[in-house]
Amino acid sequence: MARPQSTATQRTIGEKLLGVQWPLLGLLCLLATVGITAQVAAGGGSFSPWADKHALRFVLTLALVLAIACTPLQWWIDIAYPVYAIALLLLMLVPYFGIEALGARRWLGIGGVTFQPAELMKVALVLMLARYYQALRPDRVSSPLYVLVPLVLIALPVALTLKQPDLGTAVLFGLVGVTLMYLAGVTVFYFIGGALAAVWAAPLVWSRLHDYQRRRVEIFLDPDKDPLGAGYHIAQSKIALGSGGLSGRGFMQGTQSQLDFIPEKHTDFIFATLAEQWGFAGAMTLVALYVLVLALMITMALRCRSQFARLAIGGAGLIVFLYAFINIAMVTGIVPVVGVPLPLISYGGTSMTTIMVAVGIAMCAHVNRTTPVHRGG
Amino acid sequence: MFGITRDDDAQRRGFSRRALVLGAVQLAAFGATAAKLYHVQVVEGWRYAPLADENRTSVQLLAPERGRIFDRYGALLAANREGFRATIVPSLAGDIQLVLERLARVIAITEDERERLIVRARRQQPNIPLLVTHELTFEQVARLGLLAPQLPGVVVEPAATRDYVAGEALSHVVGHVGNVERVAIDDDPLLRLPGLKVGRTGIERGLDERLRGRAGMIKHEIDARGRIVRTLSRTEAQRGDDIALTIDSGLQQAVTRRLARERLAASVAIDIESGDVVHMVSVPTHDAGDLVRRVSPRAWAQFQARTQTQGGDPLVNRAIRGLYPPGSTFKMVTALAALEAGVMDLKTRITCEGSTELAGQVFRCWNRTGHKACDFHRALRESCDCYFYEMARLTGIEAIAAMARRLGFGQTFETGLALQKAGVVPDPAWKRGRFNRGWLGGETLLAGIGQGYVLATPLQMAVMTARLASGRAVVPQFVRPGRGQVRAPFADLGVRPELIRAVRRAMSAVVNEDGGTGGTARLDAGLPLVAGKTGTSQVTRLSAERSGVPLRFEQRDHALFVAFVPAEQPRYAVSVVVEHGGGGGATAGPVMRDIIAEVLARDPAAQPSYPDRAVGLSDATGAGRG
Repeated sequence: MARPQSTATQRTIGEKLLGVQWPLLGLLCLLATVGITAQVAAGGGSFSPWADKHALRFVLTLALVLAIACTPLQWWIDIAYPVYAIALLLLMLVPYFGIEALGARRWLGIGGVTFQPAELMKVALVLMLARYYQALRPDRVSSPLYVLVPLVLIALPVALTLKQPDLGTAVLFGLVGVTLMYLAGVTVFYFIGGALAAVWAAPLVWSRLHDYQRRRVEIFLDPDKDPLGAGYHIAQSKIALGSGGLSGRGFMQGTQSQLDFIPEKHTDFIFATLAEQWGFAGAMTLVALYVLVLALMITMALRCRSQFARLAIGGAGLIVFLYAFINIAMVTGIVPVVGVPLPLISYGGTSMTTIMVAVGIAMCAHVNRTTPVHRGG
Repeated sequence: MFGITRDDDAQRRGFSRRALVLGAVQLAAFGATAAKLYHVQVVEGWRYAPLADENRTSVQLLAPERGRIFDRYGALLAANREGFRATIVPSLAGDIQLVLERLARVIAITEDERERLIVRARRQQPNIPLLVTHELTFEQVARLGLLAPQLPGVVVEPAATRDYVAGEALSHVVGHVGNVERVAIDDDPLLRLPGLKVGRTGIERGLDERLRGRAGMIKHEIDARGRIVRTLSRTEAQRGDDIALTIDSGLQQAVTRRLARERLAASVAIDIESGDVVHMVSVPTHDAGDLVRRVSPRAWAQFQARTQTQGGDPLVNRAIRGLYPPGSTFKMVTALAALEAGVMDLKTRITCEGSTELAGQVFRCWNRTGHKACDFHRALRESCDCYFYEMARLTGIEAIAAMARRLGFGQTFETGLALQKAGVVPDPAWKRGRFNRGWLGGETLLAGIGQGYVLATPLQMAVMTARLASGRAVVPQFVRPGRGQVRAPFADLGVRPELIRAVRRAMSAVVNEDGGTGGTARLDAGLPLVAGKTGTSQVTRLSAERSGVPLRFEQRDHALFVAFVPAEQPRYAVSVVVEHGGGGGATAGPVMRDIIAEVLARDPAAQPSYPDRAVGLSDATGAGRG
């Protein structure tokens, strides 16, 4: 079953590319095509200003996926801790050197280029945890000290993003980290205990939320309370979904979205415009595409020999899942409005880069699935 | 540890099991969204479905009219001028460049502006109108109407522009409106209307939500191409509240004219009974109307160049944003703190030899030869620094800081005027937080005479004076209470009345007794007595006297004066700061005198008793003393 090591480490780039999970890339292309179509519709039938850039970004990041797939896996194991440290440092710098926009400091500017350290941290967190459990002896995974260490390393970025304030990203970090710990084999009693503690602590967290965050939760619980104010987004997006019906109004026929009722219609709320144009059938097809992507990634993870590779793929899958699920759940009104984009469909370079880099690392793990990895510290 | 070990195998099996559990959870999560989607789209879809086959409703927001601003006697300060504006909707315009070129033949729009509009059109959603110009003449409206077929996407609509009728003198208080800078995801959707203005400074900002009003709404039935078929319902916008300020605009104008004779200065007057701020002047000033009209880049550059050469930004309201060491005007704070603590009484005498020493450091009195033996009354009258150094040393910084806060320092007053600064009331905790250093004994002495870290605004100085004059915690008011509304009387300060009386007597001596430093503020015979306190606050450690060369403007001392009038039965508390004006008595005193004369002349309650109204500013002269 396992190939000899020598061939695994000495493969040419061509051989590595052959080993890439092409069906997954095909699915990503399909998703991006849906995205480009949606951007054309949002732009009033024109490739500018969004669809053309969206397409270009996808092609560039797709090349990045292939490039990362050809790198040696050991390289990612080696840089996992340093990357996490750098991401953490940058997150700490944000309050001091960050650029303020929309009432929050999230961006760092370096020579005219701005980026969000939180995006780097998403990938860094996955790498760090995969690296940690790669090195840890299986019999120690559930011992209290070795559970505490990753918990602290997850809590640090969570606390820093909460301070920015960015509730959505903090929740994302927490979910990615804790779920990876579950995948790594930490005994379920910790999770049950943690859940009980969370229920107990919820009132405390509520009292420390910012007013605008509380308002979003309250409006989410009862959007009709304020139809022209904060509930506007949810109400309008529900009208769009409803007007889509079973089969949709057809390409570019969604008047609710064409006439700018939907705010952020090309970014966070693009699912509403899609569901209006293509109806329940179209929306379900899109959901099915995501489910296929995730199913493929799980099978990829199952076939890996090293814990690092498994967790890297598992983490990448988690990021895709959380983005897709939170976004769709937000638009349909299951969870409150938090600014999370729909993977490969929403307009925006930052989220696309994050997702494609994560997918790239997963692909690299897949290509090297049979390569044994040293357990050492 | 190469190869597959038993451990590895177990680990892999564990991972597989958990990965499948996780996969199931994810599938269930998507299943839940699918169920919700089915509910919203299919089961309840009919509720959202359009009224007729291809028709549906759209909601259009109607901008409310902004409330007007009046002075205390009903004179109009800020109003709305009805006019017409032109907007362009990029998605309807087609070739926006061509349309703008045609438009340029009717309206003056420069190449630059056209370029900017095209860039903005490319960046934003194509259905949102862009503002081309908001001041169209009737002739332009008529010509645009004629040319309409050639100008697709161009919309001419009525729009109001803010009109600041009262001019420069009121600009700092009233403030101005401007474009919405950013709209958060859950802000009032009204803010997304193109061309909507919100308050940026002053009252316009502080009371923006009251002035703004509530949006109206038209529900249209529209067809699939977005054309309006008919109107379903219409809720009119509710106009914003009209607001009457406490400012007397006539007084404001007069005081502005007087202060304009100084380069950089500010003054605030408070009606002690009601807390009403009757004037708040800051020079240099600006015309708020200029800020509402579109400012060309060249005009803006000229404006900035002028600001640089003159020194002092005319956009800054010094009365609430200028921070000055209060200098000797702070001595009443130190005195009340010391007397209340009981470390000294009114009769305690301190001998001033021109300087005092603490831990090897020399602290000088302004009078180098010394005041000799002073009790409290004389010390305040002649502003003896040594006396107050000793008081501060005995009292300690915590008690001084507490008294300063009780008298109104180190805080803002949220009664409608936006962008106030809080200033600094230093204490050890503050210094630890700000510099991470411990408090030094000498810093208590400096704080005791209003120097060192102490910083206050002219508004706070006037509030302090009003609180001293009334013994109550006067809060400055900028808005008149509505009809039928009664403000609760201000709470008692809680300082023993005999101490307050002693401070007031000493303040009266500053102006009216021989040897007082504030004689320059004395009014003509027959007019009420003024009580007050001079202040000369150092900007640098240099002084003209010691260096022997004239100081540059920005190194000169600030001249301060706080006063209340009449001394026996106070009605008004006034503060004056002349930035880099020199001595408090010599420079700020005459200014205070002229301003008080003006305040009294316009005091409605006092008018019958002053038949001779020629006590204006014209015949006032500023003879320096002290």
